[in-house]
Amino acid sequence: MTLTDIHREAPPAVVARSLTKVYGQGDAAVHALRGVDVAFTTGAFTAIMGPSGSGKSTLMHCLAGLDTVTSGSVHIGDTVVTGLSDKELTMLRRDRIGFIFQAFNLLPTLSAEQNIRLPLDIAGRQADPALFDRVVDTVGLRDRLSHKPAELSGGQQQRVAVARALIGRPQVIFADEPTGNLDSRSGAEVLSFLRTSVRELQQTIVMVTHDPVAASYADRVVFLRDGLLVSDVHQPTPQIIHDTLMKLES
Amino acid sequence: MLKTTLAGLRAHKLRLILTSLAITLGVGFISGTFVLTDTIQAGFTQSFTAAADKVDVAVIPAKDEKRSQEGPLTVPMELLDRVKGVEGVAAAVGVGRERTALIGKDGKVVGSMVTTWGVPVVEGELNRTEIVTGRAPKAGNEAVLDESTAKTRGFTVGETITVLDVRQQKHRFTLVGLFKLGVDQELSHGGAVGYTSETFQRMAQPTGFREIDVLAKDGVSAETLRAAVAAAVGAKGEAITGQTLMEKMADGNGVEIDFITYGLLLFGAVAMLVAGLVIYNTFNILVAQRTREMALLRCIGSTRSQVFRSILLESAVVGLLASVAGLLLGLGLGAAAIQVINATGSPMPAGTVTLTVTSTAAGLLTGLVVTVVAALLPARAATGVAPIAALRTQVEENAFRSGVLRWVFTGLFLILGVGVTVAGITMPPGAGGLFTVAGGGVLVFFAVLIIGPVLVKPLSRLTGFLPAYLFGVPGRLAVDNSTRNPKRSATTTIALTIGVTLMTLISVVSASVQASSDARLDRQYPVDYVLMAIGDREATIPRSVAETLRTKPEFGTVVAFREHTRPVTTDNNSFVSVGTIVGPIKTIAQEGWTGDPGPDQAILSLGTAGKLGVKAGDTMEIKTRSGRMEKVTVSGTYDREKMPGSDVLLQESTFHRYYGATEDIRVVVKMTDGAAPEAARKVVESVIADLPTVQVSSTTEIRGEFNDSINNVLMVMAGLLGLAVLISLLGIANTLSLSVHERTRESALLRALGLTRPQLRVMLSLEAFVLGLIGALIGVVLGLVFGWAAVQTMQDKPIFQAAPLHIAAFIVLSGLAGVLASLLPARRAARASIVNSLASG
Ligand SMILES: Nc1ncnc2c1ncn2[C@@H]1O[C@H](COP(=O)(O)OP(=O)(O)OP(=O)(O)O)[C@@H](O)[C@H]1O
Ligand SMILES: [Mg+2]
Repeated sequence: MTLTDIHREAPPAVVARSLTKVYGQGDAAVHALRGVDVAFTTGAFTAIMGPSGSGKSTLMHCLAGLDTVTSGSVHIGDTVVTGLSDKELTMLRRDRIGFIFQAFNLLPTLSAEQNIRLPLDIAGRQADPALFDRVVDTVGLRDRLSHKPAELSGGQQQRVAVARALIGRPQVIFADEPTGNLDSRSGAEVLSFLRTSVRELQQTIVMVTHDPVAASYADRVVFLRDGLLVSDVHQPTPQIIHDTLMKLES
Repeated sequence: MLKTTLAGLRAHKLRLILTSLAITLGVGFISGTFVLTDTIQAGFTQSFTAAADKVDVAVIPAKDEKRSQEGPLTVPMELLDRVKGVEGVAAAVGVGRERTALIGKDGKVVGSMVTTWGVPVVEGELNRTEIVTGRAPKAGNEAVLDESTAKTRGFTVGETITVLDVRQQKHRFTLVGLFKLGVDQELSHGGAVGYTSETFQRMAQPTGFREIDVLAKDGVSAETLRAAVAAAVGAKGEAITGQTLMEKMADGNGVEIDFITYGLLLFGAVAMLVAGLVIYNTFNILVAQRTREMALLRCIGSTRSQVFRSILLESAVVGLLASVAGLLLGLGLGAAAIQVINATGSPMPAGTVTLTVTSTAAGLLTGLVVTVVAALLPARAATGVAPIAALRTQVEENAFRSGVLRWVFTGLFLILGVGVTVAGITMPPGAGGLFTVAGGGVLVFFAVLIIGPVLVKPLSRLTGFLPAYLFGVPGRLAVDNSTRNPKRSATTTIALTIGVTLMTLISVVSASVQASSDARLDRQYPVDYVLMAIGDREATIPRSVAETLRTKPEFGTVVAFREHTRPVTTDNNSFVSVGTIVGPIKTIAQEGWTGDPGPDQAILSLGTAGKLGVKAGDTMEIKTRSGRMEKVTVSGTYDREKMPGSDVLLQESTFHRYYGATEDIRVVVKMTDGAAPEAARKVVESVIADLPTVQVSSTTEIRGEFNDSINNVLMVMAGLLGLAVLISLLGIANTLSLSVHERTRESALLRALGLTRPQLRVMLSLEAFVLGLIGALIGVVLGLVFGWAAVQTMQDKPIFQAAPLHIAAFIVLSGLAGVLASLLPARRAARASIVNSLASG
């Protein structure tokens, strides 16, 4: 199967067109995104990379409806995200998007299980029991479900966050440096769960990362520099990623 | 270090304002009290000084313990001529005062308990009556009336007024002027009619003067004249200078001012206590949140004591600023209160707003000290921050475990408090028991304060049950959040608890007092109407009234009470009231009436029997009108709770033999079964139509008046306690906004995961709602328990009434107040940008 085949088979889950984002005004204006055109394939695991300050987090926030864009448009599935009201955005995030952040992903007052079910609870939906069991077993948290986040290791906490993102079967999961705070072994675990979920559940994942090794778990890596998409690598290896980054930073 | 502190304060203006507001309100109340009382005090002093300037020497009654029992002391009238004859006296007038009842436009005497006074308006320099409209009376058929009575009763200059003299005879006068009552508290209680000196003599027929005022001739000093006058009056009166007279008057009024001051200050103290708790909590949170900042300071070389001092300094700055603001607020409050007092026309001499230096200092110092003391413990905790804490990424959750020590101290205070309370309850009814119970209450409160953090969790489960059930995820999260930091929640809610406890206590006590008074009236007055004579002791109801009523078919039972007008001396030198009852008293006082007295027999009230130490079968002697001691046999006792009456009740004929055929002082009537109340009332009113001093009231009216007055007291107290509650709400708002700040990232996470803005707001409001309910719940329980205990100390057979409606209202309102307090912090939290919040920390 060639790359073009994948494109033809599945429509993109997330599309950004001519996306720009300006922080501040006048002299103090920062052009974080200067016209990004990008599409993220359904059922694919895509990594976003780039030097610090290149606009990775900004892009992710704009795609996920966490932040407003200055111009351009974002589509998630059939929905035009840009232009939705706060309430509609909230519903969109609640029902169709999953999140994994670098840290402080969990509510300290809730147990691991309650944290996993939180988005569904907010929506008033019931978790599919089979899916719940499968996700919990996949991330290996069966015996930790009743623990509070403070009683879990950093890696376990991130796995809870992954489980939480998966349980609602969102259209897309956005992850901002999900392994940034983890040692390489825990990081590798979390990343392989993400990849497994893409393979087995056809989950769409968009992940921001600094780490070439982490990015190599993805099907595709897009590179940002100064708010522009500058490179796009499919089926990357750590070596290719590393070389591309070196080129960008020079 | 000072620079760091000040920079820190400037950086958090809102926090500073919220924190300060608690102190500002407390100090504002206290200094407002001072402004009010200082101003009134100044007004009094001014008026008294003006009065004293006119009088050089005054002769006042000589002290006489024994005679003072029988009525106000007087200066013998013949002294006036003697004083006039003293060398150096330019003028002297006798000043008297008697009750001469003004008749209102409804044909009834003005006043409900007491009638108006009658006073002479003297001529010349010694006149102290200030005419504000018209002129002073000159002829015998002219009179003046005090302003406020004229206003309330609708009399204007030029009208004719009717006044009863001391013998209850009607006299008509032309109203020629209105005068100011001034600062005389006695006169202001009832109002006064002023006559020329001669007319006053005719109307009042005084047997003596209250005071003789003397004016010195030019060149004669007050002290010289005083000595001369003193020599002239001898032991029959006491000669004092005008200066001393002023001081005496000021003393008398000072007591009342002190009473107001202490009463208000008590509420101010409660408010300051609550403010102290709020400050304590705020600084605790600030210290917790700035752990990293302080650890950093420690890393770069600050010593422990520097950290300690910087926090105390911060509290001192906050306290000082807040107190200054409070002082200004107090000036405004005091001025407003004075406006109100002036508008209502009460006899308080309120002039320009005054605030003395001592009061200013007291207000400022209170605010400063409370703030700094409240910050002491948090400051000490801050010194415990290790430099290494700067390096930790996450601020640790304030884990709380209930240590053994906490339980031990709670138990100690609880046992002590309960012991003291029980001791108070078992004491005989009275103030002693009440104060003991109050002491017990304070001890138990300390127990609650210590165990508070332990109580918070179960209580939040209890109170949060419904919200969690109704509001789903936001509700459940709110309940969890409310107990995340049990210590913080406990202090926040206890601040509210104080106000709610006191409010509950007051409503329970007043409901109980009301209930027992209702019950007593039920027992005491199984009658329909009570006729009473208004005025002094001499006021009576003509016998014809009872006699006429007996002939009316509407009334089955008519009972008249008579009483000797003066206290009667007994053989063991006590004073008792002696009376008789005419009519079928048995049918009214069913139980507790052992039987009518026979000839030369006496029935004593239980209290009197106890006081005199006599019992049925004993004999005692009473002094008759003619001055002879007569022997009577005690034939029984009666319960005054069940039937009002004189200390000693004689048979009608015996009473008449010893004290003459007096008129009635009270007549009670009971309708025949089936008589129409409106018709019956009309009959009574027609019988007493020509008798202005006789008033009729139904027992329901008496009850209503009493309940009204209790309700008024209740409202005033609740209003004053409202301040403490308001401050505790500021505390809730403050705690919540600091907690929200602490949980910025968490809120952002929830928003990212799909919690809507309204849901986030609801979540925070519910947290405050739960906190409010917890505070109210503890307060209501404490208030109920100690309200019950207080009621036990107040009466012999107390009736406890829980005032369930008030209590339900307190609980609901506390919850809602919590929601109100949460609105601002919740709004800010909901508005925050998700992306920025996620990045913060
Ligand atoms: N809220 C903001 N206000 C102003 N400028 C901002 C804001 N957020 C980001 N920026 C700027 O926008 C640019 C892109 O920031 P962004 O956080 O997207 O970078 P990034 O690629 O995620 O970097 P990093 O790898 O360090 O996380 C940066 O220059 C940053 O300074
Ligand atoms: Mg970033």
